[in-house]
Amino acid sequence: MRTLQKLGRMPIALTVPAFAILLVAFGVPVIQLLLTSLNAPAFSVVNYHAFFERPANVRVLFQTIEISVVATAICLVIGYPTAYLIVAASKRLRTVLLVLVFIPYLTSLLARTYAWIVILGDRGLINNLLLDLGLISTSVPIIYSGVALYIGMVHIMLPIMILPLISVMLGIDNSLIAAARSMGARPLAAFWRVFLPLTLPGIRSGVLLVFVICLGFYITPQALGGLRDALLSTVIAAQVQSALNLESIAASAFILLGIAAVVLSIFGLDISGKQGLAAQPTRGSRPSRLPCLGKLAQHIKELFAPYRSKRWIAELYQPANDGGWWQIVGAAFVTVVMFFLLFPGLVVMIMSFGAGTALEFPPSGLSLQWYRSFFSNPSWSGTAWTSIQIGVAVAILSTFVGTLAAYGLSNTVPRLRGLLTMVILTPITFPAIVVGVATYLGLVKLGLIGTKTGLILAHSIGSIAFVVVIVSATLANFDRRLEQAAQSMTAGPLQTFMKVTLPLIRPGVIGGALFAFIHSFDEVVLSSLVGGAVRTLPLRMWESMRNELDPTIAAVASLLMLLPVLWLVALYVTWWRSRSTAKQAPPNT
Amino acid sequence: MKVHAGRFLPPIEEIALEKSPVPPQIEFCSVTKMYGTVAAVKELSLSVSRGEFLTILGPSGSGKTTALMLLAGFAAPSEGDILIAGKSVAAVPSYRRDQGIVFQSYALFPHLTVRRNLEFPLEMRGMKAAGRAAKVDRMLERVHLSELGGRMPSQLSGGQQQRVALARALIADPPILLLDEPLGALDRNLREQMQGEIKSLHKEFGKTTICVTHDQEEALTLSDRIVVMRDGRIEQIDTPEALYDRPATSFVATFLGEANILENPGFKIETDVAQPSGTVVMIRPECICIAAQTAPKGAQAGQRQSVTGMVEDMIYAGPLRKYHVRVESSVLIVREHVPSGQQIFEPGDEVQLDWLRSDIRLVPA
Repeated sequence: MRTLQKLGRMPIALTVPAFAILLVAFGVPVIQLLLTSLNAPAFSVVNYHAFFERPANVRVLFQTIEISVVATAICLVIGYPTAYLIVAASKRLRTVLLVLVFIPYLTSLLARTYAWIVILGDRGLINNLLLDLGLISTSVPIIYSGVALYIGMVHIMLPIMILPLISVMLGIDNSLIAAARSMGARPLAAFWRVFLPLTLPGIRSGVLLVFVICLGFYITPQALGGLRDALLSTVIAAQVQSALNLESIAASAFILLGIAAVVLSIFGLDISGKQGLAAQPTRGSRPSRLPCLGKLAQHIKELFAPYRSKRWIAELYQPANDGGWWQIVGAAFVTVVMFFLLFPGLVVMIMSFGAGTALEFPPSGLSLQWYRSFFSNPSWSGTAWTSIQIGVAVAILSTFVGTLAAYGLSNTVPRLRGLLTMVILTPITFPAIVVGVATYLGLVKLGLIGTKTGLILAHSIGSIAFVVVIVSATLANFDRRLEQAAQSMTAGPLQTFMKVTLPLIRPGVIGGALFAFIHSFDEVVLSSLVGGAVRTLPLRMWESMRNELDPTIAAVASLLMLLPVLWLVALYVTWWRSRSTAKQAPPNT
Repeated sequence: MKVHAGRFLPPIEEIALEKSPVPPQIEFCSVTKMYGTVAAVKELSLSVSRGEFLTILGPSGSGKTTALMLLAGFAAPSEGDILIAGKSVAAVPSYRRDQGIVFQSYALFPHLTVRRNLEFPLEMRGMKAAGRAAKVDRMLERVHLSELGGRMPSQLSGGQQQRVALARALIADPPILLLDEPLGALDRNLREQMQGEIKSLHKEFGKTTICVTHDQEEALTLSDRIVVMRDGRIEQIDTPEALYDRPATSFVATFLGEANILENPGFKIETDVAQPSGTVVMIRPECICIAAQTAPKGAQAGQRQSVTGMVEDMIYAGPLRKYHVRVESSVLIVREHVPSGQQIFEPGDEVQLDWLRSDIRLVPA
């Protein structure tokens, strides 16, 4: 009894609900999957052998790696200068550009993929344009080719690369660059010797994130790539949906996971990347063991926080002779990147108001017919309603469970915290298809395949991870002495949490809830595996993209593209309010 | 003997023969810096001679950091010009100005070891690796950090980081050294120690040094001359002693040390000269003697004024005792050294205050 009481007081107990969900829906099945792949209880590598014996498999494997590497490299090459230019811009412009990067980041994956189908398709925007100009006589195949695949993947991944880079760059003390210059370093030397090495943590987390997501990605490649561009994840998904040869699925999944693990260990498991910067004596405390997704939360904070202007502010004045050209080139580059990120969405939005029977650009007339079709056709509006229900349920469940877990983790010893956080984050750091297969197995065991409960559970494991990341980042900046102060005023642990801690970390909790909802609302890989008869909006869109050319999807995609604006406003209100209370605090105390 | 004064200057002999005087090492010519519609620095004119230690002192927002940024080349003047060794540096970027800067946060490169940090300025000036190593060794020894060359900045204490920052600023032997709140991040004991260190480095290397600070004690201890700035303008420039003894304005009087400023004292204050209108009376707390009311008048009675008052408050501060004494409608601060063997007064005691008439200063209000 006493040990039980003691256990109840331990902060680690707060993580129990999160780990329970994680284990049931994901942890246990992953281990089962591993055992299956190893032919337990006989234990042999025969399944892996079988995988490598089929040349087709090996080809797909190498192709997966190649495509992931190339896409990641393109993202880095485009993303690094973009991030640099955004950080270098004036404060107002920087905020605008950040919002422009955030909008595609928060926009539905399917909506963005659909936009590229519309643009690159055989009767898409580009082909039509070329035909009209008389440059070609028959449409050129762009879609279902390697080019379309890379365009789509880079479009999806670019914000994921840019955001951690910006986050790290904003954290670099300007006086370091000023110091380098004062010691005789020309701008280029200062960049190579000081700025670039200091941004390595950002490069590392961006590259890791993008690469691992690419590995497990199958929606965009399948929609835009040709038959020859099959990825391992596509093959696994096909296997799951057709005949169930569990052993070979398990082996394929673990080979994919193995690649991710190898890359993670090469680049270093600690993807927080703050160690190198710990030298700054004036720097405030930052979460040091939080994996790269913590940047997300920090990032949102930085977006709405007043830029911490160091005393040696960024006005690193350049004499007139070497500024002009670079400024023009830089402005042009950022413009092109922003155009690339936002143009597809605009095209779809404009097309969705078309009056014709098929989609056209520019539309010959304006009408709301596709919006009407969306709201009147239950196969669309019904699925949207289902998605909202599931999303809200997931948001409530994972915010509650995730906040508790984050709070519990923040009170445990750092070593244990790091390990447990890493475990909790596996659903969003493992390749999506592996998570999907494991969850599928788990839900089969529970008999929850094809039920809303099953979907809620499946989405929650990922959403909990997002909540933990964001709330932990908020907690890391939370002054623990406030809790001690409350306790010195005889507030019990629960009262302290409710009256002091929770109100102060509320922005993080709300942000977490928002991301939990977005994760669920946009989820398609897991849903397609475990959804069964339950049709969510992303599933309906996915089906529509593959089978029919029902222009209603343009209306749906347009509506989904407006959502991020809503999210940003919600985040702004949350963070802005927290900022204004923080501002009022000093005079009162 | 031919003495080379520095890389920008011709040998001293030749200068002496020329008619024009030696150009000051640094000269601000009516410099204004606008940020939007706000002028951070207004028509600043100032000249600093070679080897001088000049401190720019002022509260935050007084424009002192802006002045340093302009000199360092991190900002361009909106109007006016800055001359270094007689030449305009308006078009010279910071990396060609050949200055050593110690930043407030030290700005040690967190990804480089102490050695590599010290090598950086040499490398940027194109020095070969062998020459660099020897120089770094010598400099590390000079700042007593020979053991720590292989450490990362994060593994150093605050005082050690400060010394690395100083060493890095000095190692390439620039003629000008800029210090931005150099001791702001250190605790009190360490600060005093580092003040000594900076002073001895200045003596040894003889760099023209511009230091920006809001710490009056730092300014008084280190400087040859002090510039007091307020709202982007110079309030007064003088040696530390002259500033303290003869403040030009009541702002300088109160910013540099403690001062009794008596606008309407409620009693007659005797002065040697007639008090011009628009001025107020200022007297330093340590110039006032406190004694029991019955105490006999001491020597120099003719040159002193004495008044009676009542102790309102007594503050014990280690070597000092501070009294707040009400005399008519004003409260005077009086500072007494504890071991002076004098009587200790309690609040409510009637006391006699007296001071030398020559210690009274008349400053513009």
